[in-house]
Amino acid sequence: MGIALRGITLPKNDTVPFELIEITPPGTVALPLIQHLGEPATPTVKVGETVTSGQLIAAAATDRSVPIHSPLTGTVAAITATFSSRGQDTEAVVIEGEQIKPRSKKLPAPSTLSPAELTEAFREAGLLSPGPFPAPLIREILGPEQSGSQLSLSGTRLVKRTDTLLVSALDPEPCLGVNRYLAGIETEALAVGIAAFKAISGAERVLIATDKNFPQSRPLRAIAAADEEETTKIVRLNGRRYPIGLPIPLIKAVLGREAPLPYGRPRDVGVALCTVSAAVSLGETLLTGAPPVTTLLTVGGGALGRTGIVEIPLGTTIEDLVQALGGFTQEPAKLIIGGPLTGFAHYDPSVPLGKDAGGLFALSKEEITPVGAYRQCINCGRCVAVCPVNLVPGMLSMYCAKDRFKEAAAQGLLSCIECGCCDYVCPSRRPLVHLFRHAKRQLMEAES
Amino acid sequence: MSRTPAVDATTLIVSMSPHVRGSLTIERMMGSMLLALVPTAAVGVYFFGLNALLTVLLAMATAAAVEAAIEMLTKQKLTIGDLHALLTGLLLALILPPTAPWWLTMTGAATAIILGKMVFGGLGAYPFNPPLVAWVVLKLSWPERMNAFVAPSTGERVLTPLMAFKEDPALFYSYDLWDLFLGNAAGGIGMVCGLAIVIGGLYLIIRGIIRWHIPVAFLLGVGLFAWIMRMINADLYPPVGFHLAGGGVLLGALFLAPEPVTSPVTPTGMVVFGLLAGILTMILRMWGSDPDGTFYAILVMNAATPLFNYLTPRAYGRWERA
Repeated sequence: MGIALRGITLPKNDTVPFELIEITPPGTVALPLIQHLGEPATPTVKVGETVTSGQLIAAAATDRSVPIHSPLTGTVAAITATFSSRGQDTEAVVIEGEQIKPRSKKLPAPSTLSPAELTEAFREAGLLSPGPFPAPLIREILGPEQSGSQLSLSGTRLVKRTDTLLVSALDPEPCLGVNRYLAGIETEALAVGIAAFKAISGAERVLIATDKNFPQSRPLRAIAAADEEETTKIVRLNGRRYPIGLPIPLIKAVLGREAPLPYGRPRDVGVALCTVSAAVSLGETLLTGAPPVTTLLTVGGGALGRTGIVEIPLGTTIEDLVQALGGFTQEPAKLIIGGPLTGFAHYDPSVPLGKDAGGLFALSKEEITPVGAYRQCINCGRCVAVCPVNLVPGMLSMYCAKDRFKEAAAQGLLSCIECGCCDYVCPSRRPLVHLFRHAKRQLMEAES
Repeated sequence: MSRTPAVDATTLIVSMSPHVRGSLTIERMMGSMLLALVPTAAVGVYFFGLNALLTVLLAMATAAAVEAAIEMLTKQKLTIGDLHALLTGLLLALILPPTAPWWLTMTGAATAIILGKMVFGGLGAYPFNPPLVAWVVLKLSWPERMNAFVAPSTGERVLTPLMAFKEDPALFYSYDLWDLFLGNAAGGIGMVCGLAIVIGGLYLIIRGIIRWHIPVAFLLGVGLFAWIMRMINADLYPPVGFHLAGGGVLLGALFLAPEPVTSPVTPTGMVVFGLLAGILTMILRMWGSDPDGTFYAILVMNAATPLFNYLTPRAYGRWERA
């Protein structure tokens, strides 16, 4: 199995060994009320209130938002304005206190729970879908709650029954490593989480996509072997290839199915997509009864001087994490939440790292390319050769640069998944993703 | 709502992803192509002597100087650093006859830059391959000078193999194919030694500077056409190798047709472009007035490039309405 995918292969030294770095957790966290695409959660606590670790501090307002829980035991110090990891303006609940492991409760074994009970725990866990467009995972897998919103804008959404659970042990970008790290760690939670996802989604089979550049994951192999009905299979893919870890290309590479873009979702082609880290989080929620309040991040970049995986309480700010890691080794030129290929650059080190932060990269001056020094498209066609969704990015970029957004849309602009492959290879150094995002925004504003 | 300002917030760069880039730049592309043409130029100088060397240097210097002058006059940023002017000059010199006088070379190089490149807006904007535009202008203006070919080493005035073939089709028997491939025949400075051109072209393809689609399709177009003609009448039509090694086919296929600006962007478009250019080359050779149709064929195909760009792959997720 596995279909050839257009894209880029990063040089070897851009993918890093992933080892856990132990850090001291910070005494303050700021939890943004929106950490994904959709709507912000509604805070349920007031300034000055005492909270305990794992307590709900903001409830999901609609099915387009997720509940947020406090990672610390302490007091609510403030509710202030900040940026989310994606750069959205939002309010954040600031909590001062310390990390205390919640006392373990007596719980029924997860295997005895009904799908409805599993779904309730899943909703409580507040997980997000993988990739550069994070959304509440429960809505991604089960669909919108209100009937009627099943239809897409064009009214031609394919309604398919979910038949496959795709568990991704690949990371959205080769530079990130949380999923590949977790795939090598022996935990009970992983198997519990995958079984729960299978029950919730109603899928008949489970496909686990792993990176063939890494040694075979023993835990995942054990899970596949334990399945007596042989409905669980492991698919080995080249994780150094980008963007194979992004949802839309991954489904194409593993199953050959194409979600109808634009606005296509894995669900539209009968796939429930989750990552290994989401499975572990759900598994832990079921085993401990407490929703996840920490997250794993990949840290790296020349200005940080070290590379690895860290576990932080949700809402840790960039500066606190950098301090815990021992500070910068040289002056950073760019601070990126997420990976170097799809992440968001921030100018404010007090921005918190939320559920949607896959990594923190502090790039040094030598690692970035100067912004703005771009030239005319020379028609070389390299962008066409790497585009995983078969667009002609160079042509689109010329339309977008000349404010001809409607024509760009007619050429498939809205199908762009913003992976950045075209940018990466462009010899004229054109800011293609920038132009596409600008054009999409203009189109959206013109529509409303 | 106060945000504590970062100590180094003023130096942090904020821009859209991706934040890292590949190493390929225009400079590297052009530099690699210059490097790939070194063997071809060296062989030309070896065969045709000092005048060939002077033509090469003069063409490159004129192209660079004219481009810089235009940019200074029109107050644009100097683009000499992207090496494209030098490449244009070099390619023009390689398709000139070895007897080209200095004024022919300079006129050609200036035409390539002014009429071929700068009037359209510089690198990336021109519709026709600049060296070929200049070649056509020179060919129409001084046909005698542009047909003054000499035999390698001896300097004796002779016809090129293709010109001889045009005069009398039976003459192709007098040429050894290996001689043609290794350069022991009359022709343009950089058009005689197929081996040197192929070495440079393979280097570019292996390094990923040019893509294989156009060269392979172009040679396939020429080869298939020649093979069919040969099948029809082996007495009248020369073998495939004669057409592949003779004239500008190799230089055209590996260096002129894959020129990024004037060739299609999609893989399908590239293949069709190459095939049609190859077939057109053969049609012009067989029934045209010019002995070597390669350059005219490439120019005609350049004009059709916007059409080939419609041959886009099916965009992902675009479903036919049921």
